[in-house]
Amino acid sequence: MIASIATLVLGFVIGYLGQRSRLCFVSGYRDFILTHDTNLLKGVLGAFIGALGGFVIFGFLGSGILGFPMLLQTTILTRSALIITIVSALGVGIVGALAGGCPYRMHVLAAEGKKTYWVYLLGFYTGLVFYNLATVHFVDMLKTVLK
Amino acid sequence: MSLRQVKVSPFQAGLVLGFGSALVQAYFKVIPPLAYGVCMVCHPKDLFNWIADHLLHLNWGYSLASTNWPLLTVVGVVLGAMVAAHQHGELRLRSVRQPLFYFINGFLMINFGLILGACPIRIVLLSAYGNWLGIIGWACVVIGVLLGTWALRWVAARTVKRSEMA
Repeated sequence: MIASIATLVLGFVIGYLGQRSRLCFVSGYRDFILTHDTNLLKGVLGAFIGALGGFVIFGFLGSGILGFPMLLQTTILTRSALIITIVSALGVGIVGALAGGCPYRMHVLAAEGKKTYWVYLLGFYTGLVFYNLATVHFVDMLKTVLK
Repeated sequence: MSLRQVKVSPFQAGLVLGFGSALVQAYFKVIPPLAYGVCMVCHPKDLFNWIADHLLHLNWGYSLASTNWPLLTVVGVVLGAMVAAHQHGELRLRSVRQPLFYFINGFLMINFGLILGACPIRIVLLSAYGNWLGIIGWACVVIGVLLGTWALRWVAARTVKRSEMA
């Protein structure tokens, strides 16, 4: 239950800050590509620095940051994992650019009362049902084929 | 200075998000998987599937971090954004435009995101954790945004050209 409450509180804080700052993890790259505007890109950088700082500090304090940093460990990247990661990440990037934002930004915009993004979220959660019924099995099959 | 007057830059918001995600992993058991503090495709999936599993016994999968109680990040984000919008007079209904386009985008986004196992936020967190697949995924997300932006530019240029010819 502690994880539920913690994520609810953290979600509230980042939802509030996201609405005030227009933080988005897709628009940052897009704005930089289109206009060389680095304002939103700094948000992505901030998240990276904040997370890295947090992992270092809490790892140093010895609390729950297992196996950090993973770069220093021997990792075997399987061909299937690599192909699936590349294709799906490209898909996330392309779809995000077309929609004009990441899922976090879309939830924030929907919460502001913009019905366009309610429709986006309707598609999002319909897609979740589809994932559970079909995509997950397709990906399992793909992993076996690519092995 | 009241809360209403506080200005937040994207960098500051990003810092809080990144540090907060490390904090909930370290002290509030939002683990496993690793670097799972904030994810806007996996946490909604966990919440949705947890409810579906408990109400309808559908046996749809969710992460170990959500075994006993679901992760409520998405509920918090919506509530937080609503409160902020209300406080600043920005909470009002606005009409729909291009509904089919946005529906399809939402549909595709969660499917690609769940196949990847991360949203554009978690891919940054995984990279900060030093995960190779996270770093590769982050690079590919950026390349994907580049391709998507080029596609939008191309469509816009073609539309302008056509309207000039007409």
